[in-house]
Amino acid sequence: MLSPAAEQDRLNEEEEFLAAQTFDLLRVPVIGPLLSWRHSRTLLQIPLFAVSMVMILDGLLGPTLSPKNFATVLTWVHFRGALVLVILCAGNLFCLSCPFMLVRNFMRKWIHPRFAWPRRLRNKWIPILLFAGLLFAYELFGLWASPWLTAWVIVGYFAAVLIVDGLFTHATFCKYVCPIGQFNFIASTVSPLEVAVRDLDVCDSCKTKDCIRGRREASSSLVVLQRGCELALFQPAKVGNMDCTFCLDCVHACPHDNVGILSRLPAGELMSDPNRSGIGRFSRRNDIAALAIVFCFGSLMNAFGMVSPVYTVEDWLRRTLHLQSQAAVLGILFTVAIVVEPALLLGLAAWITRAWAGVKNGWLAIAVRYSYALSPLGFGMWLAHYGYHFFTGLYTIVPVTQNAFAGIGWPILGDPRWTLVGLPKTAVEPLEFGFLLLGLAGSLLVAWRLAQDDSEKHSVRAFVPWGALCMILFFCCVWLMIQPMDMRVTMGAG
Amino acid sequence: MAISLCLCAWLMAAAVLLFAVAGCRRPANEGGILVDASVAPLPVRAGIETISFRLTDASRQPVAGARVQVEGDMSHPGMAPVFSNAVEISPGAYTAPLHFTMGGDWVVLFHIALNDGRTAERQIEVKGVESN
Repeated sequence: MLSPAAEQDRLNEEEEFLAAQTFDLLRVPVIGPLLSWRHSRTLLQIPLFAVSMVMILDGLLGPTLSPKNFATVLTWVHFRGALVLVILCAGNLFCLSCPFMLVRNFMRKWIHPRFAWPRRLRNKWIPILLFAGLLFAYELFGLWASPWLTAWVIVGYFAAVLIVDGLFTHATFCKYVCPIGQFNFIASTVSPLEVAVRDLDVCDSCKTKDCIRGRREASSSLVVLQRGCELALFQPAKVGNMDCTFCLDCVHACPHDNVGILSRLPAGELMSDPNRSGIGRFSRRNDIAALAIVFCFGSLMNAFGMVSPVYTVEDWLRRTLHLQSQAAVLGILFTVAIVVEPALLLGLAAWITRAWAGVKNGWLAIAVRYSYALSPLGFGMWLAHYGYHFFTGLYTIVPVTQNAFAGIGWPILGDPRWTLVGLPKTAVEPLEFGFLLLGLAGSLLVAWRLAQDDSEKHSVRAFVPWGALCMILFFCCVWLMIQPMDMRVTMGAG
Repeated sequence: MAISLCLCAWLMAAAVLLFAVAGCRRPANEGGILVDASVAPLPVRAGIETISFRLTDASRQPVAGARVQVEGDMSHPGMAPVFSNAVEISPGAYTAPLHFTMGGDWVVLFHIALNDGRTAERQIEVKGVESN
């Protein structure tokens, strides 16, 4: 038995050892200093803003054919694929370089919002509805097939950012409205990198707490020299990537250079339930649990809308319910897929866990707690789906660019090579299944760790219903992936 | 309140400008060449299908001797397009085999090179190609 002092020394040594093993992106030559630079975010945002403008202009004025237009090719092939791959390999770097925030920050030089976001809306229910609505509109209007509509979606996004953040203080749009942001937040719970404190002891002795308060001019408290975290994440108490836009304001604000972009166990933050700064406990956040559920089941619905069997189901619904409206048919499908089905499956699993493993909580609390375990599998499905389009259409941006230059009478890149498409399907398919397996492994691991915490005696019993649910969803994903693709626009794409 | 009004005014001005820009799309059918196309057999299924089409000029006279490349594109970006050269089977009437590689909505483009050196491009939609 070690004395308390010796035990403390051992713990300190372990901490130092772990700290030495931790990878810190901000310590990497070139990348680190670049990201630590105060204007790094703006530097990353400017190119994406320029690309957004090109997408809007080409979407409104360019070729009407989707595969030949920047708006559709970049949005539905490259952006989505790159986003999930970057989240898998690093973290939420797309929020870091978000072009909408560039415009918003520019606007805030002149327009200072005065209102606080209503307390009742400080949750994820609005972005969940918007996220589901975006998936619904994608299917209903065939957004992928319409450069014009895609361009208007981007314009609408800019307008929404300016209105919300023009009226409300802090990062209201990012935290309480943005559906893409919520997708990134929940997806990046499985990322290998996290903005985190390097040494908690330094934070303990810190008097200023600039990471959350920011820095203001000594002579006038109205002049902000450096923002603190606008998403209310206090670094020493921050856990994981939820709600973190990687804006690096905390990195720039910390006077002790004590915030880094550190490596961690992917999905590790889902395996425990600590009190998280700006969030609280996951197990008490029904809204974030609902987000994880829509994220997971939405991935299946999004893929289901792209394969042949969806039309059989739609025809059956139309005949059985005598429905004329495509919106109504799709509405029923979506309601079943992302509300009824998860409610039944998770409710059943929670009920079995309670009855069989003797977990004391109510079935809703159990369902909420374990719903986060579905995030890795959902992310695996998004990766498989978006990764497929990304890799098989990787080079399509080349002929689209050639065509755009030719279209403005300046064919410096030569004639468009439309046959330049991407990697062969045979090379991409193993990757898809690899992503799904990775997601399944993550979900099973999270469910197992939660089950161990819930019931030392009957952890296997607590785990089995959730493991079975993960397996069912995994086989649904695999079934979807082997279906023939069949993409039809069901309502008037322009 | 004044700030909010200012913001709304800017947004409305931007929206009006964008609508004006969107209204400047190029017209879809300049040049007077008309394509009357059909795909057989129906329903169109994934695989090789025959596109038959007639080319006529502005006075509805058949356009013979044109070189026409037919291109098939999926409605979703990022998919491989398919190409085929059309054969003239009678004056102004052409056919081209086209390999629909998957089910879904397709757009078929006709890249037309006329005898007199003029070129034109037309497109038709082939919706709901069924998977095998």
